[in-house]
Amino acid sequence: MTDYRVRHANARVDFQRPLSFSFDGRSYRGYRGDTLASALLGNGVRMLARSFKYGRPRGIVGAGPEEPNALTQVETGGHTIPNLKATQVELYEGLVARRTSGWPTLEFDLKSLCGPFSRFMPAGFYYKTFQNQALWPRFEHLIRQAAGYGTAPEEADPDRYDHSHRHAQVAVVGGGACGLVAALDAGRAGLNVILIDEQNELGGWLLSSPNTVIGGLQAEPWLKATIAELQSLPNVQVLTRTSAFALHDMNLLLAIEQLQDHLPISERSETKPRQRLHRIRAERIVLASGAIERPLVFGNNDLPGVMTASSLTTYLNRYGVAAGKRVLLQTSNDYAYQGACDLARAGCSVVLVDARARPNTTWEQRANIAGVDVRTGCGIASTIGSRSISGARLVKLDADRNAVASEGPTVECDVLGSSGGLSPTVHLFCHDGGRPEWDEGKLAFVAPATGRAAAGIYCTGAITGTFGLRAALAQTQVVTSALLASFDKSPVRDGRDIETDEPEVTPARRIFRIPDGKAEGHGKKAFVDFQNDVTAADIHLAVRENYRSIEHIKRYTALGFGTDQGKLSNVNGFAIAADALGKSIPEVGTTTYRPAYSPVTFGTLAGGHAGDTFEPRRLTAMHESHVVRGAVFEPVGQWLRPQYFLRTGEDKEAAVRRECLAARRGVGIMDASTLGKIDIRGKDVREFLNRVYANAWTQLAPGKCRYGLMLDENGMVMDDGVTACVADDHFVMTTTTGGAARVMTWLEQWHQTEWPELDLYMTSVTDHWATAAVVGPKSREVLAKVCSDIDLSPSAFKFMDWREGTVAGVPARVFRISFSGELAFEVNVDASYGHHVWEALMEAGSEFNITPYGTDTMHVLRAEKGFIIVGQDTDGSMTPLDLDMAWAVAMKKPFSFIGKRSFSRSDTAAPDRKQLVGLLTDDPAVVLAEGAQIIERPEATAHPVAMLGHVTSSYFSAELNRSIALAVVRDGIRRRSEEGRKSGRDVLFAYASGTTHKVKVVSPVFVDPKGERQNA
Amino acid sequence: MPELVMQSPLHAFGLAAQARAIDGTCGVWANEMPLLGYISLRGDPSNSAFTEAVAGVTGVPLPLAPCSFEASGGVKVLWLSPDEWMIVCERRRLANLSRGLVTALKDTRSQVADNSGGYTQVVLQGPNALDVLQHTSVYDFAALAAGRVVGTTFGKSSVYAHRAGDGFCLLMRRSFADYIWRYLVRSATPYGLGIAALKSQSHAGDGVAG
Repeated sequence: MTDYRVRHANARVDFQRPLSFSFDGRSYRGYRGDTLASALLGNGVRMLARSFKYGRPRGIVGAGPEEPNALTQVETGGHTIPNLKATQVELYEGLVARRTSGWPTLEFDLKSLCGPFSRFMPAGFYYKTFQNQALWPRFEHLIRQAAGYGTAPEEADPDRYDHSHRHAQVAVVGGGACGLVAALDAGRAGLNVILIDEQNELGGWLLSSPNTVIGGLQAEPWLKATIAELQSLPNVQVLTRTSAFALHDMNLLLAIEQLQDHLPISERSETKPRQRLHRIRAERIVLASGAIERPLVFGNNDLPGVMTASSLTTYLNRYGVAAGKRVLLQTSNDYAYQGACDLARAGCSVVLVDARARPNTTWEQRANIAGVDVRTGCGIASTIGSRSISGARLVKLDADRNAVASEGPTVECDVLGSSGGLSPTVHLFCHDGGRPEWDEGKLAFVAPATGRAAAGIYCTGAITGTFGLRAALAQTQVVTSALLASFDKSPVRDGRDIETDEPEVTPARRIFRIPDGKAEGHGKKAFVDFQNDVTAADIHLAVRENYRSIEHIKRYTALGFGTDQGKLSNVNGFAIAADALGKSIPEVGTTTYRPAYSPVTFGTLAGGHAGDTFEPRRLTAMHESHVVRGAVFEPVGQWLRPQYFLRTGEDKEAAVRRECLAARRGVGIMDASTLGKIDIRGKDVREFLNRVYANAWTQLAPGKCRYGLMLDENGMVMDDGVTACVADDHFVMTTTTGGAARVMTWLEQWHQTEWPELDLYMTSVTDHWATAAVVGPKSREVLAKVCSDIDLSPSAFKFMDWREGTVAGVPARVFRISFSGELAFEVNVDASYGHHVWEALMEAGSEFNITPYGTDTMHVLRAEKGFIIVGQDTDGSMTPLDLDMAWAVAMKKPFSFIGKRSFSRSDTAAPDRKQLVGLLTDDPAVVLAEGAQIIERPEATAHPVAMLGHVTSSYFSAELNRSIALAVVRDGIRRRSEEGRKSGRDVLFAYASGTTHKVKVVSPVFVDPKGERQNA
Repeated sequence: MPELVMQSPLHAFGLAAQARAIDGTCGVWANEMPLLGYISLRGDPSNSAFTEAVAGVTGVPLPLAPCSFEASGGVKVLWLSPDEWMIVCERRRLANLSRGLVTALKDTRSQVADNSGGYTQVVLQGPNALDVLQHTSVYDFAALAAGRVVGTTFGKSSVYAHRAGDGFCLLMRRSFADYIWRYLVRSATPYGLGIAALKSQSHAGDGVAG
């Protein structure tokens, strides 16, 4: 195997530290400081992927986030990560990587057989082929198999991730020369600075250009001195291996830091995060994100070995890899010359083809001295080779037009680098609504040099199209002076020279697609977007098919999609589209730049919101008591409530049945701590309650409780609950578990904005009170064992009374209220005693076989009594009258109440609204599906079938030994009346999932309709 | 009847048994200040009858500046909103303080509500305490000045936070305490988390043993 290493002193790899790694099952050697891509190139690995659509051989093109081809699957098992760009994977000892395309093998890819038929797979192939939708299901499986790249891990992610909310006065994006100078200026001025760079070390392009001289210093010592000073400033934080991937409103900058990806898996810490999401809020942001070189478009430009000129330079200078021995470079500008000289000095034979007839004379001289064979006024029409490039066919270009003047020679080479100019990395600038401007002189979409200073966004360097280093550094000083002035500070500069040794930049040739003398689509395939196999011909075809907007052309051809997001392809694509449309590039514009700039792992986005901290789980004071008794929990709102308690050998149905019968016939106990509780105090509480509830509160005496329906402005039920009168000016309201916060906000809003004159304050005491509901015929006897200072007799302590006393030695409020229809006492204590009181009640109830029950049983018990659950039996369109709860509405209150006025709306007052009823199936064993539709006839006679309503609650009732259901049904109250029964309108059908059941509309109160039990 | 034992919201984590004196082994030290008294107070800050009555009972001037708190004599009064305060005290003083406030404010538009079962506090200190808080909340804790209290997010929940001694004190609702503690543990693990011995189990103030 040929060694492509050039061991020079400027390389940022450590040749004394060899590393072994594997790619696609073969072992290779690289060095510390390598990327996977540089190591593979150093080993002469060319083809490492197959293309998306045609299965064409592909190799490494770039050296950073722009890489379209070299997508690799890194590591295995739970650690595996799909589609990492080999150019961004830092090499470590033992790294295991695989290809993500090429099936069955990289050498032989089935898709490549389609190559000869590619003319039948033009842009829009899928849209066109599958317009006949019947074909899609047959081909979907095959196509999905062929499409896509890497595979997602099937194991749980073993890594940790977190988020870090950072606050800075200045955030600098990009650790190249400009970013470093900006950070240093801001840091010296004493500002709190965060400097972010995507690479493993600071320096940006200077790492690829070690011979650059700044202020008399070579790049390396200049960087060393600058970085050392930055690191000495305690107010400057430097984040390397950190990619700023989004810039949002209010200067919220998102960046992902790779903390451990560069370490062998065995050396990674299990307690430290693998990656961290920085959420940075910065008063000012300096975008010094640089530029990425775009290639030129020519025939067969996707052969392995065809790269960007700048990446060849980077691999040579930074990684000590000459990607080929015989180098062919194609440029339209000055930027490829430095690399050409460096490669020639490194011993490569270099031919540089400049599309310009008259290149920069300084560069031409330097190139000649270095031994570069410079050919001017030429272009590469197409490359030669099958699995790897072996040469290229040149053409002589017309001096004025981008057309072929004459055929040129064929040049042999084993690597080809092209430069079509620089594309500024404007993405972050554009995420926040900014648009780039086309600079015809620079042939680039640039961020304006003025940035968006009013918003605190500053741009400097190559992002603004200032591609020369000397000019960029001068610009940076101007920009940071303005930035510092906005903080009333001025720069502290040590007078260090920012002069560089660069020649002046001369104009580039305006060329994107090198002509081959043939009409577009007739020559060799000329790829614009490698990752999506989009050719120049595809863009022309899209235009011929009348796609005019670049956003549509993008979506029709797939230009600019994928993990590289068109970093190499977009500008070429826009220019080719402009050419085809006969428009200027600014007229065509760009597609929209959206986050993320480069791919972000889901784990990092989730951060700490995973596992046991995925969502807040609110626990009651009795949680541990439930755990030891086998509770199966369900989330209700954010609360974790016992759903049922499983005993050995039981299933859920058996458990619920046992719990229901215990509460109806013996004694059950339920944790009701989760209900919202609002303490309201003041002279005007009664009046306030009159206004926010539909019913009347004027007469409620201390020691008494009342149920109330809370309505919204439309008269629809939004919450319900029991409110107790503690004293004339002191009430405690309960709300539904899920509605507590909403109700509190609602009440505060009405009080603060509409009725501030009412003398009252309210405070949530939900968490203060732990509540145990002791339910069932034996509940009085149980409570009597632990409560001696309340007279529990039916005459002294009536239904809907409450008493203050002592339960199990703890001060308690005991309410005789019932959500089950049974005799019940709800014991409220300071939650610090909740566990104690629960255990005391369990002990007191043991002789009665007291049975803890959960929400499932609670639902059955309340449905047997026809008690609604707001949000289950109501959906924001149910009035109290729809619920047949006119008794809970007091129409004659002097001030009115929220929602009252809406009762007179024509629809709200309509007679045949959907109303709450009970349903009984013919077959008592059938439990209807909740959500089942109520229809008139068992068979559909016409479509659409008229929907009369739906089942809201449905259970098997152990007490009745049959199924019961609640439903909302059009005109339901009349249907279940005497009149409805006589006319047969009470017989309907419930339809769900293809099955229909006959049902009878009945009263929703199935058990104890007279209420004798709760009053016992 | 079972023995009468109070349980703080983080009781299940058994923190008291793990507590030890702070040393150099961990980046972050935390613990729960269990079973204090919490009284929610509401009233009109422009009504001097109200503010003076409260100060008279608590012995602490009622903080009126937004996001401020006052503490002395084992009583801490936190400003929560323009008409809302949280009074934190030792449990044994709760009944007297609560009754005293209700009596003193009898004829003043106001509200006194015992919320002692509903809240707890977690103290946090150590060289990485600030790093840990940065993982949990959008708030810039570095900018939190002594004597100030802020209500802010914590993961997907919320806390009131203020500086206490060399560290921070977080006030949270009982039902969210389990989540918040777990989130704190997750965030602190990379730095090493120690359970700090408290100065006094019943002290309402701010510290852990040095």
